[in-house]
Amino acid sequence: MATLTLDPPSTDTGSPVNRGRAGRRSGLHMVGRVLLYAVMLVAAAAILVPFVWMVTSSLKNNTQVFTVPIQWLPDPVVWQNYLDIWTKANMTTWLRNTLLLSVVITFLQVLTGSFAAYGFSKIRFPGRDVLFLAYVGTIAVPWQAYMIPQFILMSRFELSNTLWAMIALQAFGAFGVFLMKQYYESIPEELSEAARIDGLSEYGIWRRVVLPLSGPAVASLSLLTFVNVWNDYLGPLIYLRSPEIWTIQIGLKSLVSQYNAEYALIMTGSVLSVLPIAIIFMLGQRYFVQGIATTGVKG
Amino acid sequence: MSATTIERPRAPGRRLRRRRALVGWTFILPNFLGFATFTLVPVLILMYLGFTSWNAFGAAEFTGLENYQRLLADSTFHTALLNTLYYAVFHIPLTLGAALGLAVLLNQKLRGVAFFRTVAFFPYITSIVAIAVVWNMLFSPEAGPVNQFLEAIGIANPPGWTTSTDWAMPAIILVSIWRDMGYYMLLFLAGLQAIPSELYEAARIDGANAWQRFRNVTMPGLRPTTFFVTVMLTIGSFKVFDLILVMTNGGPGTATLVLSQYIYDTGFVERDFGYASTVAIVLFLICIGVTVLQFLVNKRRDR
Amino acid sequence: MRRTTKAGVAVLAGAMLVLAGCSDDGGGSGGSNGGGEGGSTDLVLAGWSLSTTPEFQVLVDGFTEQNPEVSISVLEYDAANYDTQLTADLAAGSAPDLYPLKTVTTLPTYQEGGQLVDVSDVASELSGDILGVDAYAVDGATYAIPYRQDAWFLYYNVDLFEQAGVEIPDGTWTWDDYVAASMALQEGLAGTEAKATYQHGWTSLVTGFANAQAGSDEEFLAADWEYMVPFYERAMELQEAGAQESYGTVTTNSLTYQGQFGTQKVAMMPMGSWYVATLLAQQESGDADTFGWSFAPMPQLDDSTLDAPITQGNPTAIGINAAIDEDKLDAAKEFLAYIGSEEAASELAAIGIMPAYTTEAVAEVMFGLEGVPTDDVARTAFSSQQPVPEAPVNSGTPPLQTILDDAHSEIMTGNISPAEGIAAAIARAQDEVLG
Repeated sequence: MATLTLDPPSTDTGSPVNRGRAGRRSGLHMVGRVLLYAVMLVAAAAILVPFVWMVTSSLKNNTQVFTVPIQWLPDPVVWQNYLDIWTKANMTTWLRNTLLLSVVITFLQVLTGSFAAYGFSKIRFPGRDVLFLAYVGTIAVPWQAYMIPQFILMSRFELSNTLWAMIALQAFGAFGVFLMKQYYESIPEELSEAARIDGLSEYGIWRRVVLPLSGPAVASLSLLTFVNVWNDYLGPLIYLRSPEIWTIQIGLKSLVSQYNAEYALIMTGSVLSVLPIAIIFMLGQRYFVQGIATTGVKG
Repeated sequence: MSATTIERPRAPGRRLRRRRALVGWTFILPNFLGFATFTLVPVLILMYLGFTSWNAFGAAEFTGLENYQRLLADSTFHTALLNTLYYAVFHIPLTLGAALGLAVLLNQKLRGVAFFRTVAFFPYITSIVAIAVVWNMLFSPEAGPVNQFLEAIGIANPPGWTTSTDWAMPAIILVSIWRDMGYYMLLFLAGLQAIPSELYEAARIDGANAWQRFRNVTMPGLRPTTFFVTVMLTIGSFKVFDLILVMTNGGPGTATLVLSQYIYDTGFVERDFGYASTVAIVLFLICIGVTVLQFLVNKRRDR
Repeated sequence: MRRTTKAGVAVLAGAMLVLAGCSDDGGGSGGSNGGGEGGSTDLVLAGWSLSTTPEFQVLVDGFTEQNPEVSISVLEYDAANYDTQLTADLAAGSAPDLYPLKTVTTLPTYQEGGQLVDVSDVASELSGDILGVDAYAVDGATYAIPYRQDAWFLYYNVDLFEQAGVEIPDGTWTWDDYVAASMALQEGLAGTEAKATYQHGWTSLVTGFANAQAGSDEEFLAADWEYMVPFYERAMELQEAGAQESYGTVTTNSLTYQGQFGTQKVAMMPMGSWYVATLLAQQESGDADTFGWSFAPMPQLDDSTLDAPITQGNPTAIGINAAIDEDKLDAAKEFLAYIGSEEAASELAAIGIMPAYTTEAVAEVMFGLEGVPTDDVARTAFSSQQPVPEAPVNSGTPPLQTILDDAHSEIMTGNISPAEGIAAAIARAQDEVLG
């Protein structure tokens, strides 16, 4: 790995120094690149094996999903599952609920998380570090241990068996605060100081200086929150009873009944539920480009 | 940390300090209200439940330190604790290394980098049931591809992987690294964007090679992210639950029984929520201990 | 800093009050469908996997037809996590008025937790033909009424037996006969894909039969588990001979018993009576092959129990939430009386479920279903087998079961011998549970 160039992308082509060196090494560079691609493609294929199995299983009859030895290719190919998932199962409802929750929770988590993170990282006040430790500390407590007390509280607020329960549960997580705080700490303090001298309030600094520089952090927090809500199983299992508010994960689990399970249909639903995330990821990852923070420093 | 907080040359006046605390709290409050009500309060209740006997119905009966005494003599708890440590000791550094390597690799200007980044993230979004099923099949001792391969290259007695008390944990660790590396890669990728490119430029002009640039520019620049990832990874490793549950369910025997599963079983199977809370508190204390240690190390490095 | 601590204490104290509140007010059971008005009562019953588990709706429909003034809605729970969800709902005081005890061994949990109404008055009115009522009695009081009683059969594939040239089970098998037949089948089926028999991964497939046939409640609860060793030795013998798929393969390949027997991968399979209905449905839908099959009583320890073969089998019962509104209690008890009636039993038998109420008439309904095997051996299995719960119904059982589950996976994967594995489990039980 040490032989790889560690240059960030934006500087790769810029200076003449670079270009000259690139020219001298280009032959070697080509071979290296081809090798690198070969290795990466093989690795990618290996990483995708379980996903490939999911896809092929979704095209099988139910009894062909688990066999000895593994049957990698469906025979015959059963497209019916992709129709049944909409008719036999209530995929439309599940998808709508999951999407609603993911969007609302992600929005709230990013908003409140980044706001709180500013307080934790840029303003010093008594009790701050202890409070922050309490935030991080709760992450360290396994949820299944305080699930029942929390459920009782939530029921007292009449929130259980509503989608609000999931929002209350996940929108104010400590994870987002921690992530954003760490990112803010890598933003040079000179920027906020300059803005302060210009007469901007702390809220103004957050809104106009710090937040615009946090693109990559906001992007990764959004993605991770979205994915976690999308794939959460235990939370909806405990809080959502009525079938009309089920999410994809518990909806799919309902295809496992006491004496039988619709494995092929479950895999069909799983494939369908992964695709939106993959697309969102593909779109979101372009925010991970060098330069957002630095243009700020220069400007 | 001192460089990034508001540090005025002279100690500010009382009114200013109060004003600042007020401003600080207004930032934190929207999140804190939700956090305190729905997370912090239940967690504090759990802290209390650790000193009680409670079957989830009715009032908890205060039993003092009884649960803690029981912990000392509980050999299954000791097994679960050791298994958790075993898992954490390997999972944390290996995942950290893999994630950082991936992030640095996929932070380059490469054709199709979006595709490779997405692929690296795929294990994390693939249904955990599919993951367990496929990896268990791959590791299957008799007909599994992994052992067929090992036999083909001349290993006479390949391990039984998830069906062997010795090899189940290594198998779990392998799968968990595979699953988590894309997740932490994402966090590192975000962190890498905050390192000013001028620093690389300057290092290059000084004649630093790739490794030196990594050591002297990338690593220091990534420190807040590395700290975050290490803390999250530590907590995540000590809390590991779902992957083990679906892959081995703690077996064979108690070979892969970890604290989180022990807590779940004690609570929901044996209906001893008081004792389950006590184990959860111990897990919490371990995590907090390690986290505070990391905090201190991180703070010292900052200076 | 000090102020934060104080605030924290205040918040915590408030929360404890809220928590404590739920044990005081008691009321407010699920659904909150106000009852009593205009003579009509609305009840809520918990159920699971409703689309594939028709029994709840069948019971409700049968009851409300006779009692139009009562309406019952069924609330769906997750089949695999039923007790977790129900525990949360009961703890929060939002559980349904009526709830099934999905596993008989959970009775002590809910009963000792004060979550069940004493329904001894309903039980005393029931006919004597109901199996399993005793399992729900604690200190002379009954807390739930069983409506179904599963029993384990030995299912077999007639075609594969014929192909292998082995005599089909005649209802007089001991475990030794079972092993001998398995070996003969394995020989006869050599060269085909099929194996002689299939043992699913569940612990109860070994310990349940051992408890029912060779052990006693006292021995189980005292962790005197040596009687399980021969049962494990037999399982290992079959596994090592290749007559049944190894436990490691079953678990690592997530094999399903429906797939194994339904697509003719095995000639025999011990399984619960519920599989009759599943197999018929799967043959209908094409998920299972069409082939000749039937079931026989489970193999016995020796000849002495052949007249009334002992098998394992759990009853399933419904109880009343202790937090039910006073004015709904009578309607709920009437419902329990109904589920224990011969009428309800016939309705259940008509959908292929073995009811707790067993009479000739009910058996006729069951064997009148299309596709259900009607040979004498199958009738014996249905009518004369004595089902025993897989483990004692006692609050001491769950922690012991956990230990046995661990021992099961360790023994069946061959990491430890049956004798040593059981000895280690006994030592662990003595040390952690009984000591």
